[in-house]
Amino acid sequence: MRFWPFLGRRLIQTVITLFAVVTLMWALFRLIPGDPTTVFLGAGELPPDAVAALRTSWGLDAPLWQQYLDYLRNLITGNLGLSFYYRRPVLEILLPMLWNTLVLMGFAVTAATLVGIAVGSWLGWRRGDKTEQIGTLLVLIPRALPIFWIGILLQMALAYGLGWFPIGGMRTPAFIPETRLEQLPGYDLAVHMVLPLLAAVIYFVTDPLMIMRTSMLEVAGDDFVTFARATGLPERRVRHLARRNAILPVLTYTAIMVSFAFGGQVLLEVVFSWPGMGRLMVSSVTQRDYPVAQAAFFFMAVVVIVLNLVLDMLYAVLDPRITYE
Amino acid sequence: MGMSRRSFLHVVGAFVGASTLTDTVLEGLGRTVRRAEAAVTPGGVVPPLSYWIPNWPDQIEISNQCTAAWQKLGLIVEVQQGTLDTWTAQIVAEHKMPHLGSMSWGGAPDRLEPDYFLTEFLYSKRTAKGGLNYGNYNNPKYDKLIEAQRQEIDPAKRQKLVWEVQATSAADNPSLVLLHRDYIQAYNTARFEGVVPVLGSGIAMPYIPWSYFKMKPKTGRKLVKVTSIYDIHTLNPFATPEVHNSTLLRWIYPPFVIRDENTNIAPWTAESWKVVSPTTIEVVLRDGMKFHDGKPVTVDDAKFTFDYILQHKFPALSRVPDSIESVEVADRRTLRFRLKAPFAPFVASVLGFTFIAPKHIWEKVGAGLKTPADWPNDQPIGGGAFSFGEWKKGEYLFLKSNKAHWMPPQIDGVYWLPVPSLDNQIGMMERGEADMLGWNVDLKQAERLSQTKDLKVVRSATHGVHEIRMNADMPPVSDPKMRLALSTAIDRKQISEIVFGGAATVAGNTFITPLSKPWSNPNVSNPAPSIDKAREILKAAGYTWNAEGKLVYPK
Repeated sequence: MRFWPFLGRRLIQTVITLFAVVTLMWALFRLIPGDPTTVFLGAGELPPDAVAALRTSWGLDAPLWQQYLDYLRNLITGNLGLSFYYRRPVLEILLPMLWNTLVLMGFAVTAATLVGIAVGSWLGWRRGDKTEQIGTLLVLIPRALPIFWIGILLQMALAYGLGWFPIGGMRTPAFIPETRLEQLPGYDLAVHMVLPLLAAVIYFVTDPLMIMRTSMLEVAGDDFVTFARATGLPERRVRHLARRNAILPVLTYTAIMVSFAFGGQVLLEVVFSWPGMGRLMVSSVTQRDYPVAQAAFFFMAVVVIVLNLVLDMLYAVLDPRITYE
Repeated sequence: MGMSRRSFLHVVGAFVGASTLTDTVLEGLGRTVRRAEAAVTPGGVVPPLSYWIPNWPDQIEISNQCTAAWQKLGLIVEVQQGTLDTWTAQIVAEHKMPHLGSMSWGGAPDRLEPDYFLTEFLYSKRTAKGGLNYGNYNNPKYDKLIEAQRQEIDPAKRQKLVWEVQATSAADNPSLVLLHRDYIQAYNTARFEGVVPVLGSGIAMPYIPWSYFKMKPKTGRKLVKVTSIYDIHTLNPFATPEVHNSTLLRWIYPPFVIRDENTNIAPWTAESWKVVSPTTIEVVLRDGMKFHDGKPVTVDDAKFTFDYILQHKFPALSRVPDSIESVEVADRRTLRFRLKAPFAPFVASVLGFTFIAPKHIWEKVGAGLKTPADWPNDQPIGGGAFSFGEWKKGEYLFLKSNKAHWMPPQIDGVYWLPVPSLDNQIGMMERGEADMLGWNVDLKQAERLSQTKDLKVVRSATHGVHEIRMNADMPPVSDPKMRLALSTAIDRKQISEIVFGGAATVAGNTFITPLSKPWSNPNVSNPAPSIDKAREILKAAGYTWNAEGKLVYPK
């Protein structure tokens, strides 16, 4: 099959998938008891008639099918709506948090992938020897630990214990740089980012690493490796060839990791008071702030679907043996 | 709409096939309700009591204590935990009240006015869905007294009525009022001094902010950093009823009257007020006030603000148009309020909650908006002791001291830092990253905090209340004798000791803390705790016990 028909078919699939996701999300949020006014009720802050007035002014007493159609129409025209809780356009709420998350998670996913590929290929190449056995065991440990626990341990050792890093937050409010080092642009942000980044990398690194290792093992038995060796290439070069051939599954997994990372890591964000997407998504669900929650999940879905599409396209470029079948 | 919301959701749920959990939540209460109704058979075993709590550690421990006591009466108790939002959606929004619903109510400043708890929780007109009388208490005598105290302008006569209100409900035990939990907070004594504890606000909450008005810096570092679990969600004072947000905005937009350090009502932007007749109140504004943009605060701005509220009927300020008929300018500094009916809580609840918005800004707001409550108000201009500095959502809210104020703060400003983890708040205090802990720790955490040099822990009482409401329509707790027995079986003092290490005021049989004088009726005490006495009460009411020791309905 040719590239263009393949792309066309995939695009149609993508649109159908997105529509299903959007509908499912919309229904799921309305399945949770309560509505956006509930958050003011529990604290006894609004009398019932004021709640009724709010509900009317927010269009929540319209029939559900109409609310759904309004939502779809707005979405198609690119209007994500107004947050019920913040009374601001959804993007104004979402984008700053998204940026905070991407800063942290972008570095984390990149570092985890690079480290994973390097260490994984090294381990896979040493199939059977002691370093491989111990190494495999060691890298499995952090994968079994909850991310918040890794975070708390790092916090205890490096923030409370040694005092090298701040406990949490993204910036020091009213920060006054004193030393030359502190005057560097981005210094304050970087210092705040070290611990959550480290925790995220430790947590994320095992999967790409183990995938790379397994993939290396498969490739190691291939004819081209034997052939490369037979031509007398140095072992380092042979490994390099094998690594290039083994990398594809890791890239697929990176796409999955990126979409997870996009949603932030709510536990990590709580441990390090990081103002990211994870906390926003949780609070928008508990506050029944449908527009924010829907938009957040919608973005996530778009990232997953689009990344997968792009990756499928890229496969053929990365590995000419693959065709669009 | 042909289909109810519930059945629609069920259809969608069945279609989606992912609804098992939500369905369980939805159905759980409905089932208990039906089972209880079906089970009022004379001589039959009393059905299990369904008891809903928010899934907070203190609530869980309280439910353990109560359950242990009630089991000794031969009752079976089924505790169901839920997140606050599920609890609220079911019990408050939908009024799907099980036998018992437990909640703790915070000490917002408007709740110092006795009318709040007494009316919202037990007045029969609050039994509609969304109302806080979700226990469906309905006593015509109580209602009459509530209405009478609202209309009684003479403070001494009103006090008598308020006491009578409390005595009336105490005879029926519609709720198991447990205790008023203390705030335990901390501040850095090396950097600041002169904090002021206030009932219900402690030293650090933004509600009644005398600490921030009065505290003095001891070093060159004059900015105070306060931790809280909350962030604000809007800068528009017409938009939010939420207590943390609205009280912080009152730092920028000050109310007419304020609670002083002893929670008495004191003049603030109003210099004085006079009750001319039961429905006419005159308020004289303080002279020489200025907005943060330098323009003078005038009586026209004040009238404009009230007209604005009456015109737009902002839900967040809905208690204002409920009582006010009209507002007029009497002279250069005097505002005259005409009320729809005499309303005793007017000064505390309306003048203590409303504010003066600059007419020159707000009269232009509204073009293209459904309501001015949707205006972001990114640069709030008020006349308060603090002016707006900066808001970075999720990171901080910065409020600058207003040196042109009639009582300028001695600090330079306050950073409110939303920190979701309490452990982090404590750590930030220990490391000097924060100067004031604006949330609430327990005694163990307090001990840890006080081990750090320069940190001082301050414990102060609140008028917030922990209570377990009972469903007056659902047997067996619809029986006042059963409610009295449940109340007699639990030991409030012991609960306070075990759950809070005694850092609480044990409650009387009223929502109003004994510390709230003169409103709390000292004569309505809870029964002395005794399991034997509780069993006697049940026995006298005709209840018996079967061979397995389970409680049986009267024949």
